[in-house]
Amino acid sequence: MITKRQLGIALALASLAMVIGVVAADWVGAGEWGGFGPLQWLGLGAAAVLLLVSVGLILRGNRPA
Amino acid sequence: MEGKSTLKILGIVLSAVALLVFVGYLAVYAVYALALFRWPYDYDQGEGFELYDAVLYSRGEWPYRDNAVFPFYASNYPPLFHLLIVPLLPLLGPRLIAGRLVSFAATLVTGGAIAAIVRREARTWLVPALAGMAYLSSNIVYQIGPLCRLHPTMVMFETLAVACIAGFQDPRHGRRNLLLGLFFLLCAGYTKQLAVFTVAAALGFVFLRDVRRALAAGASLAIVAGGLFLLIDRLTAGQWMVNIIHANVNEFDYLWTLAFLRQWLQLHPVLISLAAGLLVYELFWGRLSVYALWFVFAVGMGLLSGKWGAGPGYFMTAIAAACVMAGRALVLLEAALPRRWPRLAGAVGLLTPLLFLLQATFTLHMPTAGPVFGSLARLLGVDDRLIQGDCTTFAYTDSSGYTQLGHLLSPADYEAGERIMAYVRAADGPVFSEEAAFSLLAGRPVVTNPTQLLNLYKNGLLDTGEIIRRVEAEEFDVVIFRAQFYPPPVLQAIGQHYRPVEHICMNGFYYHILLPHRWDVAQP
Repeated sequence: MITKRQLGIALALASLAMVIGVVAADWVGAGEWGGFGPLQWLGLGAAAVLLLVSVGLILRGNRPA
Repeated sequence: MEGKSTLKILGIVLSAVALLVFVGYLAVYAVYALALFRWPYDYDQGEGFELYDAVLYSRGEWPYRDNAVFPFYASNYPPLFHLLIVPLLPLLGPRLIAGRLVSFAATLVTGGAIAAIVRREARTWLVPALAGMAYLSSNIVYQIGPLCRLHPTMVMFETLAVACIAGFQDPRHGRRNLLLGLFFLLCAGYTKQLAVFTVAAALGFVFLRDVRRALAAGASLAIVAGGLFLLIDRLTAGQWMVNIIHANVNEFDYLWTLAFLRQWLQLHPVLISLAAGLLVYELFWGRLSVYALWFVFAVGMGLLSGKWGAGPGYFMTAIAAACVMAGRALVLLEAALPRRWPRLAGAVGLLTPLLFLLQATFTLHMPTAGPVFGSLARLLGVDDRLIQGDCTTFAYTDSSGYTQLGHLLSPADYEAGERIMAYVRAADGPVFSEEAAFSLLAGRPVVTNPTQLLNLYKNGLLDTGEIIRRVEAEEFDVVIFRAQFYPPPVLQAIGQHYRPVEHICMNGFYYHILLPHRWDVAQP
């Protein structure tokens, strides 16, 4: 059984991976825009929401997810 | 005391009105479906190709073929929906009604499954019935439901799968429920590849509750699904992989995704708010249900709607999941509110009908002409609403705004269909048609699947040499275009060797009839 804390940690890691992916898109030259594109901003926004959710879940402790 | 009985009577009256409104939506849906069952041609481009896949299966042939070889046809979908059509072909012949019946029935089963899921947690049938009918009342479900398209059947299998997986820890039937759930997931995936989102949601739910069983279930499903995949790929000499996977890698426009997301939110605000509320509750205070995870993953599926060739239909699973979650949220609220605020107990009975009535106002869609719908449209003040097609207008209103689907067909459309069929029947050789129904109705071979050719061409996977050679040799007696979704070199070759002779307005679109230049020489 997975707890809310464990789920929160997993989501926090997913959020971190999203941020890395969004930034890495520029390093590898993906995308249609020069600089930071609108999809990247959307990705960052989604990662921020995910991070907030994950913090809330971590605070819920060892209750079952 | 008097106030309580007044509220109770009001609750009964409002519930009756809400049921009546959703039964009304169901009637509109049935009228539209019956109109499509009679319509012999493609209503939505691509329907005929799905039917043709079923025809090929009925002959014991695979639809996963080399697109560079005559008749330049292959399917880009898995087989299950088309196999479900096969038993109807001896009864109905190679006609679109066969696929439309399967698809329409699938939406009814989905609505019934949604009601059954909510009923497990409800004390009465009111919320379950409204939740099930809310699915069928959605503009998007209405528009796509009775088409010969596989998407509604995928949603049906997904809904049945999550309904089974939800009970995988049942002390008596847990194992059976899990196996059935996995079977329906397999069915959903072999109906349309998009079901992978629901597979992730269902296995994610099992993982949250029982890691070992999730790993075992996931591995079992992967082995069976993967084994089938490899088997079909081997039997089709690799064409399965090319047509199912590579041909579905299309351009993605996030602006389309945002537009479809916005439309989904605007059409179902009450259902989505209730679903999101229950999701937050389960996430932080309760336990995540399979339905909550399904809702999240289904929205993820909807975000792919910006892919070329996709559309608002990609939100159908999210609509089904929202209906389940909204129904469950109302059941929970009806039980929890009186406990927390006993003085509100009498008013709680108003909550469900009022919220569903509010939801119903956002999804208004109906024909606005005719003896019944005309009067109703006048009553609702929408009798002046029209939908503008490319070459005609339809007496139809839809709160989703402009749509190519949903309207009824006119006698002029049938006449136009006959006019096009006259060209097809007059042809001696093969017909190069952008829609398959014309060829199927005339008993001619289906030549080309335009979007499939275009997708493969864009991905550098199509050799157009043979098709261009045949076009240049003017081997096709007639060309029928609608959207001209062919690879540009093919369109150029046709432009050089065929000339337009007539533009026929049918179902809101111009169908362009082109004849070969050799006819100019033969008939100066």
